[in-house]
Amino acid sequence: MQAQIQSEAIPREKADYFRVPGAHLYTVSHRVPDPLARVLLIGPFASERHFSYHPWVRWARYLATRRIEVLRYDYRGVGESTGVFEEMSFKTWSEDVELLVDSLSSRLPLVLHGLELGAILAARAFSLGAGDALLLWSPPQDANQALRAILRRWAGLEQLFESVENRKSASEYIRLLEQGTSIEVQGYRWTSHLWRESFHFDLPPTDEAAAQQHRRPVKLVRFGRNQASGITPYLHRDEIKDIDWLYSSSFDWVSQVLAPSAGEVNERVN
Amino acid sequence: MSESIESRELIELVSREGVLRGTCHMPSSKGPMPSIARDRLGVLFLNGLPATRAGHGDAAVYWAESLARLGYPAFRVDLPGYGDSCGDPPPEALSSINRGGYKSIVLALVRELVERFKLSGVVFVGHCAGAVTAIYTAASTRECRGLVLIDPYFYLPQQSDRSLRKRLIVWTMQSRFGRAASTLYRFLKMTRLRLNGLESFKNANLPLLARWKEAASSGMPILILKAAPRRNTDTPSQIHEFADIGYALELAGRKSHVAAKVIVGAHHSFANELARTAVQQNIEGWLEASFQQGMNAPAPALKKTGPACTTNPEVLLP
Repeated sequence: MQAQIQSEAIPREKADYFRVPGAHLYTVSHRVPDPLARVLLIGPFASERHFSYHPWVRWARYLATRRIEVLRYDYRGVGESTGVFEEMSFKTWSEDVELLVDSLSSRLPLVLHGLELGAILAARAFSLGAGDALLLWSPPQDANQALRAILRRWAGLEQLFESVENRKSASEYIRLLEQGTSIEVQGYRWTSHLWRESFHFDLPPTDEAAAQQHRRPVKLVRFGRNQASGITPYLHRDEIKDIDWLYSSSFDWVSQVLAPSAGEVNERVN
Repeated sequence: MSESIESRELIELVSREGVLRGTCHMPSSKGPMPSIARDRLGVLFLNGLPATRAGHGDAAVYWAESLARLGYPAFRVDLPGYGDSCGDPPPEALSSINRGGYKSIVLALVRELVERFKLSGVVFVGHCAGAVTAIYTAASTRECRGLVLIDPYFYLPQQSDRSLRKRLIVWTMQSRFGRAASTLYRFLKMTRLRLNGLESFKNANLPLLARWKEAASSGMPILILKAAPRRNTDTPSQIHEFADIGYALELAGRKSHVAAKVIVGAHHSFANELARTAVQQNIEGWLEASFQQGMNAPAPALKKTGPACTTNPEVLLP
C-alpha cells in the first residue's frame, strides 16, 4: 500500500443523509480516486461528540489523503442526525452500524474503527461478521463504563459552577438513574432504560484468541493520560492536538493488514 | 443517500479558505406562518468553541428547527477549522476570534446566503465566541438586521498560569478565607469599574467594544441572553456578575434597541433543557417584536430587562 500523500488527487468530502427506520443519519464520506480500502468510523457517545470531532475529522482526512476511503456519521438522535435522543438505545445504534455496513459495497476491504463507546459498537458488528479488520481506540469494557466515565467528568465540572445546595455528585445522579428517573447530561436526556441497558452492552472478546477465531485482524489502542488529551473532553480543548503518532501508527497497521498486494485480506493480528 | 430531507438541506459554500459545510432549515409550508410573511429574513447561527454547528448538546439544531417552523430560514455553518468545514482552527483560536479573525469569512458567508436563498437580510445568533464574531461582523454589513448574543463577553482572557489559576479557584471554593478574599477582590474590581469604566481594565476588548458601539448605536435590534450565576446566588457580590454587559448596555447609547435578559438555571453552554427552551422562547418573542411589521419597518424599542449592573466574568473568577 502506498503511504505517500496523494496531493494531486484531493479527496472529496460529501455530506449526506442516510435513511434508517424513523430517522436519517448524517454521514460524511471522504471519497478518493482508486481507493485501497474503506474505513467506517464509529465515534464516541453523544456528549463526547463535539470534543472529539476535530481529531476525528482530521483522522478521516489523514486516511483519505492516503487512498483510504472513509465514511463517518452521527448516531441516530445525535448531532446532525435526526431522531429523538431519549428514544434511542444501544440496540438502535448497533442497528445503525449494521445498516451502514450493508450499504457499503463489498468491493473494498472494510475496516471498522470505533472510538470509546463506538469501539463497542464496532466490535459487536465485527463479531457478527461485518468488516475485514477491527481497530479500537480506547474501548470500555461495557457501555456502562463509558457512561460512568462521562457522568463523573460532567458531574465534577458541574460542581465547580453549581451552588453548594444544588451540587450533586456522580453517585447521586447514578442513584436517580437506578431509581428510574432520567437525568440530563450536557443537553442529552439519559433514561433509566438506557442506563440499565448499558450494563449488558459489553465489548466482545478482542484478544488474540478472538481475532484468530474471527480469522480477521484486530488492533486495540489504549490511551495513557497524556495521550488521551487529544480526544478527551475538557483537556486543553481550545488547542489543536498533536496526535499524529496515533494516526501514523494506526494507519501503518491498516496498511499492513489490508495490503492489496497480498491479494486478499491479511490475517495478521497485532 | 440524500442531501436534503423534509426540513433540512445540507449546504456547501466555497470560501477563500476552502469549503464550508452547513445545514439549512427551511420553513415548512405546513408551519403556522408562511415564509413569505417573514420577508425572507434568515437566521445564521455562530457557535462558540469547540462546538460544531450542532452546538453544545445539539442546542443549535433545536433552535434552528424551531425558528424554521416559525417561518425563518435558519442556517448553521461550521466556520473554517471546525466541524466538517475545511482546515484546522487558527493557532491561538480564541485570541484570533477575539480580534475579529472570522469577520471577513462571515461577511462572505452572509453575502452568499443572502444571494443563494434570496434573503432580505440575516439575524446573527452567536454563542460565546460566536457572539464575538457576530458583533465584529454586524458592524460591517448592511445585510445584518439584528443580533442575538448568548453569553457574550467583552474582555480578553488573561494570560495566567493554568495550574495556579486552578489552585486559586479550589482555594476560594473550599476555604473560608479564600471566599472572603474572592469577595474583596471582586468588590475592588467593581469599584474600579464604576470609577473608571471598563477601558481601565487591561483585559477589556476595546476593538470589540468599538464595534459593539457602532452596531448598537445604529438602532439595530439586539437581544442579549446571559446565564445567571449558579454559585453563591444569594450573596450581594452577585450584582457584580456581569459588569462588562452592564457597561456595554450603557455604551450602546439612547438610540439603541438592546434587550438583555438573564436566564436563571442556564449553564454557559445553554445546552440544558431549561436554557434551550428559554433561548428559543426569547428569540422567538424578540423576532416577533422586532420584525413583525416587515423588514422595512423600524423595530420597536425594547426595554433593557437585564440587571442594572453586572460584572465581567473574568473579574468574577476568583
